[in-house]
This record gives sequence, C-alpha cells and structure tokens, in this order.
Amino acid sequence: MSLQTENAVVYVVDDDPALCRSLRFLLEAEDWPVRLFGSAEAFLDEIGSRAGPGQPCCLLLDIRMPAMSGLELQQVLRERGFEAPILFMTGHADVSMAVQAMKCGACDFIEKPFDDQAIIDAVAKAIERCASMLDEAQRRDGARAALAHLSPREQEVAHLVARGLPNKLIAAELGISEKTVHIHRQHVMEKAGISSAAELARLFLRADPEALD
Amino acid sequence: MGLFGRRVSAGRRGLALLHRAMRFCLPILSAFGLLSGPAQAENGSRPQDVTIGVLAYQGELAAALDWAPLTRFLNERIPGYRFDLEHFDADSLHEAIRQQRVDLVVTNPGYYVAMENEFGLSRIATLDSPQALSPDKGTGSALIVRSERSDLQTLGDLRGKRLAAMAPDAFGGYLLVVREMLAQGIDAESHLKEIHFLGVPMMRIVAAVQRGEADAGVVRSCFIEQAAARGVLRQEDFRVLGDRRSADPAVAAFPCGLSTALYPDWPIAVTRGIGHGLSKQVAQALLAMPADTGMAWTVPADYQSVHELYRELRTGPYAHLRDVTLAGLLRRFWPALLVLALVLTAWGVHTVRVEHLVQRRTAELRASLRAREDAEARVRSHQEQMEHLSRLSILGELSGSLAHEINQPLTTIGNYARSLLRRHADGRLSDAAVVEACAEIGSEAERAGGIMRRIRDFARKRSAVREPVDMPALVDSTRKLIEGMLLHAPAIICENELPPGCEVLADGPQIQQVLLNLVKNAIDAGRDLPPERQAVTIRLETADKRLLVHVIDQGCGLTAEQQSHLFEPFFTTKPDGLGLGLPICKTIVEAHGGRLWAESNVPSGMRFSFSLPCHVAAN
Repeated sequence: MSLQTENAVVYVVDDDPALCRSLRFLLEAEDWPVRLFGSAEAFLDEIGSRAGPGQPCCLLLDIRMPAMSGLELQQVLRERGFEAPILFMTGHADVSMAVQAMKCGACDFIEKPFDDQAIIDAVAKAIERCASMLDEAQRRDGARAALAHLSPREQEVAHLVARGLPNKLIAAELGISEKTVHIHRQHVMEKAGISSAAELARLFLRADPEALD
Repeated sequence: MGLFGRRVSAGRRGLALLHRAMRFCLPILSAFGLLSGPAQAENGSRPQDVTIGVLAYQGELAAALDWAPLTRFLNERIPGYRFDLEHFDADSLHEAIRQQRVDLVVTNPGYYVAMENEFGLSRIATLDSPQALSPDKGTGSALIVRSERSDLQTLGDLRGKRLAAMAPDAFGGYLLVVREMLAQGIDAESHLKEIHFLGVPMMRIVAAVQRGEADAGVVRSCFIEQAAARGVLRQEDFRVLGDRRSADPAVAAFPCGLSTALYPDWPIAVTRGIGHGLSKQVAQALLAMPADTGMAWTVPADYQSVHELYRELRTGPYAHLRDVTLAGLLRRFWPALLVLALVLTAWGVHTVRVEHLVQRRTAELRASLRAREDAEARVRSHQEQMEHLSRLSILGELSGSLAHEINQPLTTIGNYARSLLRRHADGRLSDAAVVEACAEIGSEAERAGGIMRRIRDFARKRSAVREPVDMPALVDSTRKLIEGMLLHAPAIICENELPPGCEVLADGPQIQQVLLNLVKNAIDAGRDLPPERQAVTIRLETADKRLLVHVIDQGCGLTAEQQSHLFEPFFTTKPDGLGLGLPICKTIVEAHGGRLWAESNVPSGMRFSFSLPCHVAAN
C-alpha cells in the first residue's frame, strides 16, 4: 500500500520531561517528527476542537500521570471522536488495565523500559494504521459527496440499482414507468462518473458499509 | 603530773595570786628583819647575802612570821653574812633553785626529795617539832570528817565520797593520804567521787568539810589541834578518820590525830652553790638553836620513807614510773581497757560484717544490673528488628510507586542508549546527538541513584539516639518524602501551631517513620474518594508541656470495633497490609515517653495523634 506516511507525527504525553526527551531522541532518528506534552490537558489544548488528526499520527500515552491519566485521555478523545491510534506506556503492565485500554481501542501496550525495536515497530504500525484509516475516510467522504449530488428520486433509484434490481422491478417498486427509471439511471451514472451497476454498488458501500443490507 | 593538771589549776592560780600580793609587802618585812636584828658586819666589810628560800604552804605572810626566828637567829650567830628569807610557792621555788637565786632551802619533805634528785640539794638539818617522836617520825596527815558522820569510820568508807585536799602534789596535804588509801585498796583517782583541791591556806579544807562541801579533808597532822588551841575551830566538831595511834603502838605516843604513817619533818638543805664552810656553820647554828626561839632543828632525818611514798605513788621524782608500767596501767584502768577492748572488738566485728554485706550486696547489684542490661539489650534488639521489619513493610507497600520511580530514569537511559546504537548502525550518528544523549543518560543515572539512596537510608537499621528534633522541619521533610514516593500524593497540609523554640528530644528518623506510617494510612483512607476528601492534615501543637502531632484524614473512618483492635499486631484493614505499622509506631512513641492514640474525626475520617515530651532548649 502506498500510503502517505511521510508527514506522520508522533505525539508523546508523559509527565516525566526527561523520558519525553529521550523518546523524541529515539523517534526523531527514525524520521518521525515528535511533539511532546507534559500532561493530558496540554495535549487536549493543542488539538482544540478538531474532530481528528489532519495527518497520519500516533499517540504515546503514559498511563500514570498526576492529574488526568492516560486512560482518561483515551476516553475523552473517544467521546470527541478524535480517532488516532494510541500506544500506552506503563511501568508495570497490569492485566485489567490493559484489557480496558485495548477494549477502548488502544493499539498496543508497551512496557517500560522499552525495547527500542518494539516501540519503533509499534509506532510504525500505528502510523500505518492511521494512514490507512485516513485513506479510508477520504474515500468514504468522496463517495458520500458523489452520492450527495443526486436528487432524492435519483438516490432511491441508485440504491435499488446498486442492490442489483432490474429496471422493471425498480419501476414497480417505486410506482413509476420503466422508461423514467432508465432516465434516472443514466443521470446517476453521469453524475457519479461511473458506468456500471457494480461500480454503483461499490460507491454505496464505500460511503456506508451497511448501506446495502 | 599531767594527770592532776585538771584539778590543780584552781589551787595554783590562788597561790600565784598570793605570791604577787606578797611581792609588794616583802621589802617592808625584810627591812624590818634587818633593823630588828643586831647582826651588822663586825669587820666593817659588806656582809655576804645568803638567801633562804622557803616553801610557803600556808601563804607567804604566815610563812614569813613562822620562819622569822630562823633568820634572826642565823644573823645573830653567823657574822659576815646577812641571811634573808624569800618565799615561794612550789613552782617558783623550783625555778629559783634552778636559777641559783637561793642558797638555803626550807621545804616540805616531798618537794625536798624531788629536788634532791634534780638539783643535788643536800639536807643539813630536819625541823624538830615538839610532837615528833623521832627525826624521821615528825609529821603525818589527818583525814578529818565531821564528828557526826558516823558512816565514815575507816579509810575504806571514803569510796565514792568527796575529798578536799590542798593540791595534787601537796605532801602532807594530799599524797600521804593517797598512799594510805591505796594500801586500803582505794585509788583516790578512780574510786573517790570527786577531789577538790583548794590550795592554801589549809583552813579552806577544814571549812569545806565543815560546810559539808566535802565528806572528808586532808590536813597536816596536828593542824586541827593547833587551830583549836588558837581558838579558830572547835576540835569536837571534827574527828580524825582511821586514827593510826590505836592500831600502831609505834605511833601511839603521837600527840595528834593521825591517819597516816609518820614521815620526817621539813628539812633545811643547802644548794650546790653554797660553800662547805658556811654549810657547816649553819648546821652547827641550827642544831644549837634553843627551844625558846620557838623552833628547833635536829640531825638530818632519813628521807627514805618519803622516797618510798613517791615511788609507790609514782609521782614526784618517780612520776616516770607511772608512764611505763603496763601492769600499773592495767591495774588502774582495767575497766576502761575492758570497755575499750569490747568496743574495738565490736567495731572489728561490725567492720567485717559490713565488709561482707557490702561485698554481697555489690555482687547482687552487679548481677541484677547485668540482668537488666541483658533484658534491655534484648528489648532493644527486638525493637530494632521490629522497626526494621516495619520499614521494610512500608517499603513493600510503597514498592509499586518505587518501581515506577526507578523505571522512569531506566527507561530514559535505555531510550538514549538504543537510539545512539541505531543511529550508529545507520551511519547517522552526529556528535551533537552523542553529547545530548550522554548528558541525559548521566543525569538520569544520578536520579536513579538518588532514589536508591533514599530507599537505603530509610531501610537501614539504626540504634536509638536522642537529639533535639525540629518537628516542623521533620514534618516538612516527611511531606516531601511522601510526595516523592507516591505519584498521586494528595495534598498534605501542615498546620504548625507550635510556640517558637519548641523541640523534642527524639530519634528523628524513628519519629519520621511514625509520621510516614500515619500519613500513609491517612492517604490510603482517602483513596478512591473525591479529591477534596483525600487531603491529609498534619497539625502540630503543644498541650501541657507535651508536643502533639495530629494526622487527620477525611476518609470513611473506622468502626468502634476496628478502632479497639487498631494497635494489635497483625490487625489490618488493608488487603496487602501486614498489620505491623501501628503497633510499631506505638512502640516507638512510647519508647520516647509519649503516647499514640486514635479517635474519630468530625465530620469524617480518623485522627491519629501522638505526644512527645517537650524539650526545653538549654539556652
């Protein structure tokens, strides 16, 4: 996959400044720009009201922090819909904490002190995953935009075409003539820039994986 | 004579006084003597002075009158010399002879014998009194009592009675009677109740007996008879005790009452300085002295009996015998010696017993001290073990936090090191990166070392010490220690209400351990509660000369049941607690003379308090 990971950013949130700096030293050598935050609150201030990362990224969160813990930050981000892969750092991995974190969508759990290769691999994987998520979102947004240009009747016809129904049945379903169905169908193909019913079905699924259920 | 010193002083003083008075009168009397006598130097040359020293036993005036016939006669009979009387008491006569101020000496037999030895006096005649039976039986003593004292018949009856006498060294006035009493088994010194030495004149002794101040008195024989003849007393008022005349035919003819043997009468003696010729002249003159002069002299008597008396009494020239005869001492002082021996024996026994007791007590004391030291050492080592255990248990409870503390610098160091290796492998290692990484690695290693040191200091065993401890500073450092160990330490509020200069004498680290334990408990009590209820307050105040430390939490508190078991070993409300913290804290506080207790806090939580005695700073 040729995903755009070059401009990926690593966010580190830890209350230990020395540890933060060492992570930047380690990760910047792998050509990842690293941004450091001393607390969860500082990170939330930074992302402000953005709904998600504009570029591929990865969050390295310390679980134990004085005010807001790493898990609490994960919760807040989830509620805000800010989707970015999260790697948790912990001194002593305790199982219940790990399960909770993973349930909430954490990518990985890294135990301090780190194995350099392990953290680099984990960060790389997370960034890749983030890039793919971003790509996915981009294509979904494209599909949705294409479908959004159709008139309500055209959308109805397009939905039924995507489900593979012939014009005759569609006309019967919608209570219109077969010829009218044909005209809508041509408009849909023109507007969405596609040529076959199969392509239309893919477009629907890209915009909403459950659209054809 | 020292033995008599105490009693003689009064008599001596009286004698000296008289002597001084007569010094004034003498020149007049002497002048009278010269004028009255016809003895002027026949050859016209200046007559040679011859001084006759006379013992004045009845006072100088009486002596001068008594002896006046002697000088008058000698001056008449021996031309070319002027005989002159000079009167002395016993001491001054002795001194005059020593200084050769006298040429002839007239004195009583006792003093004569004493000075015969000392100065080489040589008698040339003995007074021949009318009553004398022979030259060596001329005088004695009479022990007089009042006639009505029928209880006093013999010398033996004087035991425990009061005796009046002239002086301790008086011959007829004391010593003769002493010898006689000794022969009867009475030691005058110890067996009589008291002896009054009244000095001269002898009439004082008579008066003392008459007034009843003494039961008996010692006077020269014939003194009573002569005094009665002069009409100064009534003879029937007195009786002579133990009259020898009825018992001894040899003295039956003696005309006066006599309680003692008879001794030679007074001698006249020449000193060494006088020439043989003059001695002979005087002797011849004296023997030829007619009876009508009122004084007669006879051939010199044998004074052996006087010597015997002195030897027996160990006085006068034989006084030295008194000092050296152990048997005599024993005989005289056996009751005192017996008492002394008893006292010494008792003292010896007592000393030995005390020594024995002291040794036994010392041994017991040493043993009990050793036992107590052993016990204390056991308690101390036990306590140290407990403390050590408690420190370890606190460490254990804090280990999670400690692991995190240590992990942070280790992780940081690892990151730098790994990254350096990766950069090196990629050939992208810059000098700046090496410098940055190594500086960070160094400081992080120091940080880890500091944490380790803190743990070691805390866990190390220590022996008990008592030093002035500044509690506010201790509380502050404890707070910092906890905040360093616990990542999410809640607020710890210190309220210092101590007056300035208030200190306690304590083992700082031990008290800190107590504080740490209590604060740790308080923090645990507030866990999982809203932040405003997690805060822990440490309050310092004084009450009744004691420093109080309160550790207050706002947790859920403990039930009365739980509170009653709080200080029991192995009682715990925590899943991972050992239940040793509070018992050890209590032990530590009590070892400091303080108290540790717990009570419910209002409105919520617990209040743990301990007290320590205040130390008043030495300044």
